[in-house]
This record gives sequence, C-alpha cells and structure tokens, in this order.
Amino acid sequence: MTESATSTRRLSTAKAISEAIALEMRSDDSVFVMGEDVAAYGGIFGATGDLLGEFGPERIIDTPISETAFIGAGIGAATEGMRPIVELMFVDFFGVCMDQIYNHMAKIHYESGGGVKVPMVLMASAGGGYSDAAQHSQCLWGTFAHLPGLKVVVPSNPYDAKGLMISAIRDDSPVLYLFHKGIMGLVWMAKNPRSIDVVPEESYTVPIGEAKVVREGTDVSIVTLSLSVHHALDAAEQLAGDGVSAEVVDLRSLVPLDRHAVLESVAKTGRLLVVDEDYRSFGLTGEIAAIVAETDPSMLTAPVARLAVPDTPIPYARPLERFVLPTTDKIVAESKRLLA
Amino acid sequence: MTVDVIFPVMSDDDPTGEGVLGTWFALDGESVAEGQLIAEVQVDKVSADVEAPAAGVLRHVVPEEGVSNQGAVIARIE
Repeated sequence: MTESATSTRRLSTAKAISEAIALEMRSDDSVFVMGEDVAAYGGIFGATGDLLGEFGPERIIDTPISETAFIGAGIGAATEGMRPIVELMFVDFFGVCMDQIYNHMAKIHYESGGGVKVPMVLMASAGGGYSDAAQHSQCLWGTFAHLPGLKVVVPSNPYDAKGLMISAIRDDSPVLYLFHKGIMGLVWMAKNPRSIDVVPEESYTVPIGEAKVVREGTDVSIVTLSLSVHHALDAAEQLAGDGVSAEVVDLRSLVPLDRHAVLESVAKTGRLLVVDEDYRSFGLTGEIAAIVAETDPSMLTAPVARLAVPDTPIPYARPLERFVLPTTDKIVAESKRLLA
Repeated sequence: MTVDVIFPVMSDDDPTGEGVLGTWFALDGESVAEGQLIAEVQVDKVSADVEAPAAGVLRHVVPEEGVSNQGAVIARIE
C-alpha cells in the first residue's frame, strides 16, 4: 500500500518546489534560502512552505525589503562556496536590484576568467491573469534571457518544477528560476487543474536546456512555456475536435534554449505558432521565429505566427487584461488562421 | 474501522465558520498512508494542509472546491 501511495502521490507546484529545496538542503549543508517572507510565511506563493520548521532561521532567512542588499549577500555567499536560493518576491521588482543581477550575478564568472563561480538560484514569481496590474503581472523572462551569463528556467508543472529546481541548485552557474503564479496550484488564486499532479517523492533532476513535447501533433507546432503551455494544451484539445492536430512544445528553459526541439517539431508540422506571456517586441517569440528563419525557412508552409502581450503595460481591469494575455481562444484562432 | 477526516479549525473568532476544500491531493478511493498529505483547505484566504489521520482507503465526503464548515467531516478512511 505504501508503494501505491508513493507512486500516485500528487503535489501542487508550490509544494513540489519546496520539497526540492528540502531534499537538497538535507544532503548539502551549503544550501540555504533567503528572501522576503520566505521563512515564517513560507514564501508569498508557497515555494518555501514548511522549510523553516525543519531547517530553522539560520538556513531559512527572512530579509528586510532591500533587494539589492540580500541579492548581493546571496552572490557573495555563492562566491564563497555556498549554494544560496534567493527569492525575489515578484520578478517585476528586479529594477531596484538590477545591478546585482545583471552586472554581478551574471558576470562574475566571466570577469574572473572562470576562477570564481556563482552557484546561486534566484527564484521569482512571474505572470498575470488575476488583476494585479502593471507592476505585479509581468513575465520578463526575455529581459533576463537576453543577457549573457544567466541560465533561465521556467517550469510549467509540478514534476518539472521539482526536477528543474534540483538541477538549478546543483548547477555551478547562476540560475534564474521563474515560476508563474498560475501554475503553483494555490487555492486562493485561480488554480490550473494541471498544477496539481503526480510527483515522485525521491530526488530526481530535469535537465536544464531540454524542451519537452507535451502533446504530439502533425499540423501545427505551438511552441510556448509556463502557464501558456496549459492554454496551448486546452487549445490543442479544442483543435482536435475540429480535425486539427496540434503539437505543443514546452520549452522549460530559455537559457540554454533547446533550438533542436523547435526545429524538429516545425520540420514535422510545417507551421509555427509561438505563444508567450511576455512582451511581444524584442522577445522570445521573435527569437524562436529567428531559429527557423536562420536554419531553413523552407520547412515552413505558412508564415510564422506570434501570440504575445502587445507592447503595453498589463492592464488592471479584467477585460483589458484578458485582451492582452495569450488565452486558449486566441491560440485556437491563430492555429486555424495558420491552416487556412 | 472507519476514521473521520476533519476540516481543521483555523478561525479563533468563528471556529465553525465556512471554508473551502481547495485541493484533494489524494483522490477518492486511493490508498493513503498515515500522515500523508491528502488535502489543502482554505478559510478566508489562509490555507492549511490536511494529513491522513490513519492508513486506509480514502473516501471523499466533500468534493474539491466544495464548501465545508470547520470541524466537519470532509472524508473517511476505511
């Protein structure tokens, strides 16, 4: 009975992340957590829930509201051999600590000629869809993927969230780990049904830099990540009812980017729709389109389609917010347009 | 023997007040181990974990997203 309980054990993404951190902390004394409300509150979106009780305030550290100071402290600890996990509560807050992230966390390894490593995980919430307005709803992964020096991982489900967190902690490079609030499985926030799923209890890794085909299809490749994966899967289900076979590729990591997976899928379907909840211009959707354009545009039987947030701040008003976010309906419509 | 699973009392001011069964981590009819996380409940935007009080087969009484009073039976373990 214990075995069957284990093999079907389900967790929310939030609890899967917390479990990944706990497993690594048990086996490696150099791992610790730092950030705003990560200890007693368990992280505003639950990513560090239940850790304080097991590991105590020496290793689960609540910080003042001073992102430059505590991210800087994390970088310093990492250069001295620790493996810090630092939470920036909302990725939107990066502005006040960008020098630490862009010029120190991302560049120390390079500037020291590889002599000084920064094995640190910077974890932050991302994304909108719940009326939290322009300063608490952005994804911004493109902003960090643009800069050389950081790995950027963006899980979409509990299984990947756990395995990618363990990979991120063990990685000797600085890793930005962005979780969308809509995939955390939180009771108090519109909960995606796939944000609760089977997660093995033991330790395992999901490799950083490997995309995953989460639904196979032959007519159109929907390349996406994070919460949009779920919108794409819902869209693919609808499209199947209309006789359209959509393949859904979950990128899972932006840096390194699994270009091969994109090309392999598009070579099969001939049509590419890139879906991203980040801003449209100068971002992920253009980057994915460029991979195909630079490699072999003749594999396309239709122009590339992009679905992303138009170049506007995220509105607070729910109807306006829905208007700018990539939704299931829009993915269905764009896919059909590609096939028309 | 059947063991009741109770919605935890989370509100000092209103200990029998209503809450929501947010998530069933363990499905109806599933075998659970004692102490296993089986559900997450919520009262006034505060959530709490519910662990299995005994080993056995879980039978849901309150469905996911269903409303329940604190202190009420939300499931049985057979």
